[in-house]
Amino acid sequence: MPSTQALKGRIRSVKNTKQITKAMQLVAASKMRKAQEATKLSAPYTEAAREMLTALSYREAVKDHPLFKKRPVKTRLMIVIASDKGLAGAYNSNIIKLYAQQLTEDDKAGIKNATITVGRRASQFVARLKDTEVLGSYEELPDRPDGRELRTILNSAKGLFEEGKVDAVDIIYTEFINSVNQKAVVNRVLPAGFEPTHEPKGPRDIVYEPTTKRVLDGIAYRLVGAQIFQALLDARASEHSMRMMAMKNATDNAGDLIDDLTLAMNKARQGAITQELAEISGGVEALNE
Amino acid sequence: MHLQLITLQGVRLDTEMYELIAPTESGEIAVFPGHEHLVTLATPGALAVRHNKTDRDTQLEYFAISGGVIEIAPDTIRVLVDEADHGEDIIEAESRAALERALKLRDEAPDQVEREKAAQMIDRHQVRLKVAELQRRHRR
Repeated sequence: MPSTQALKGRIRSVKNTKQITKAMQLVAASKMRKAQEATKLSAPYTEAAREMLTALSYREAVKDHPLFKKRPVKTRLMIVIASDKGLAGAYNSNIIKLYAQQLTEDDKAGIKNATITVGRRASQFVARLKDTEVLGSYEELPDRPDGRELRTILNSAKGLFEEGKVDAVDIIYTEFINSVNQKAVVNRVLPAGFEPTHEPKGPRDIVYEPTTKRVLDGIAYRLVGAQIFQALLDARASEHSMRMMAMKNATDNAGDLIDDLTLAMNKARQGAITQELAEISGGVEALNE
Repeated sequence: MHLQLITLQGVRLDTEMYELIAPTESGEIAVFPGHEHLVTLATPGALAVRHNKTDRDTQLEYFAISGGVIEIAPDTIRVLVDEADHGEDIIEAESRAALERALKLRDEAPDQVEREKAAQMIDRHQVRLKVAELQRRHRR
């Protein structure tokens, strides 16, 4: 049985750890709330872009636009979104597992691939791989991503797609379903999917300036951008909720461990006292004889 | 007429107003109620909103916007842009300093990618600075 002293030391260190995990849990919880609200903000933007595209689809063949046109996939680009920091439960490993699975599938199908990573954990993983070309790594994105980070990622993806260097662009991220449920998913970004919204209100004789083609370019670009932006926001919210859960579990476990150790320590102390008493009374007995 | 200013960060403005002045690819346009159906592309620049018919130029509300799409109907306008900063939120001195930093960055850029990034920053800060100046001039 370990000594009382050793147990005391362990209890102290577990208590410290518990304090830290508790603090991290609270920080993650407040970040999660903010990130969760942010995931809803870009919805009106996407909705408006889709409505405009629907109205436009009566005038211009949307399906023939370069960003919408499907072609056989020989090379594909994957945008992998993970986090910069660990201690977020299975957040990063789920993403990397899914990414590795996609790589194997591509390998079997004879599809070449390229990767853009967001987050240090993803770039560290990809750096060790040989069979994928890394086109860019983005790290240290702010908690509230704005249009700037998005535009660099979006422009390089769009450029590669238009030049025909890649035939499809997928984004791998963690979908935020609710604060206890998140799922790593693969979404196709390019060629863009287009589902018409309800019949647009108003007349069809709309003037497009400078040309319908240019306006279509503009709307398509924004629709694709909004999709990537939504993925970034979802990933952010998922990361914080998974970190919160992981830290909550760690805090609970530390509490259990402290209880067990305290019990063990009390037993050890009582044992020591009992033994000492037995020795004293034994000594007294011996003297009396 | 009704105006909605929609950005990736949410709806920035959802209000009744009288006149909208917006930068587009074919030049600056002013939109009044009863305008024909028009969809056009916005360029980065200053977006101005006149809320009431009797408002003077000094009462215009300014936004620094990035590129986007403007959808106009006789009684509604939807402006879809990636970013929109309210004129009053922009601090002129900060924008000026940021612009100088961006210019320096462009001159020292080692490759094309960095130069493009710097050029984007310069555009952005030039627009913000312009809006800040407009806001200041009109406040006098």
